[in-house]
Amino acid sequence: MNHTFTLPNSGHNFDAKASKLGMWLFLYTELLLFGGLFLVYMVYRYLNQEAFLEASYELNVWMGTINTVVLLTSSMTVAMSITALQKGDKKLSLILLWVTIAAALVFLVIKYFEWSAKFEHGLFPGMEHYDSLQLGERLYFYLYFFMTGLHALHVIVGGVFILVVVKKIGNGSVNKERYSLLENSGLYWHLVDLVWIYLFPLFYLIH
Amino acid sequence: MENTHQEEHISSYAEHFGTWVALIMLTFMTVFVSVYGSGLQTLTVAMALLIASVKATVVGLYFMHLKYDKKMYRLMMVVVMALFTFFLFMVILDYLTR
Repeated sequence: MNHTFTLPNSGHNFDAKASKLGMWLFLYTELLLFGGLFLVYMVYRYLNQEAFLEASYELNVWMGTINTVVLLTSSMTVAMSITALQKGDKKLSLILLWVTIAAALVFLVIKYFEWSAKFEHGLFPGMEHYDSLQLGERLYFYLYFFMTGLHALHVIVGGVFILVVVKKIGNGSVNKERYSLLENSGLYWHLVDLVWIYLFPLFYLIH
Repeated sequence: MENTHQEEHISSYAEHFGTWVALIMLTFMTVFVSVYGSGLQTLTVAMALLIASVKATVVGLYFMHLKYDKKMYRLMMVVVMALFTFFLFMVILDYLTR
């Protein structure tokens, strides 16, 4: 029997299945992280139904809807870019990834305007107006900032991840035969979308 | 080399586009129910969560490729969901019996 050793990081120990499984294991923990936050939301909402309802009117349904459409569209473009690379169309794959990154930026800009409006109204925890609200409303805004903030952080990380993949497709280290990194960044991006699918109705649409 | 991407299913552009159309339609449906269905609070909340879950399933199956990947990923997803449902159940039980 011929024994050969593969040095770690030598570039010869590529294992598409293992890296995908690793990514999924990480995504399962992410689901439970946000799942825990949704349980917190559920309990406080159950205890403060009227206040949550009242507070939710502060959010702009249309901005939330636009952001939902933006994220869904970017999810499609990243999925299509995988198809493109699998078929060997490097150029189209790159274009679709740039569209995805652009969508991530649009999402963050809209989020920035939404948060700014809340700041102007003094609704950020610690601000004067916030402190004068009743407990239920304070809990709502606390959870709103924490959960959409954590989600926005994921949007930033996902965008940077995709940017790295763009670079690697450019220099050829991610290609038609080896696209694990693209696939995994896509999975991460879909998770970001998945979390937003629940955040949107729970914060924006509960009235 | 058994570790490469050989014999993997490649989703078509049309399929991704169709998935997107379905998701957009579900989004507008959930917004419509919320904006025009107020007053029916419990119903709209249940409806919103139902639509969100349908959307999440569609994203998982088609965009995240779970439908075509090895059964193992779906199975693990079921395990994670079961775990979450257990947490949910315990929390509900806790608050309802106080």
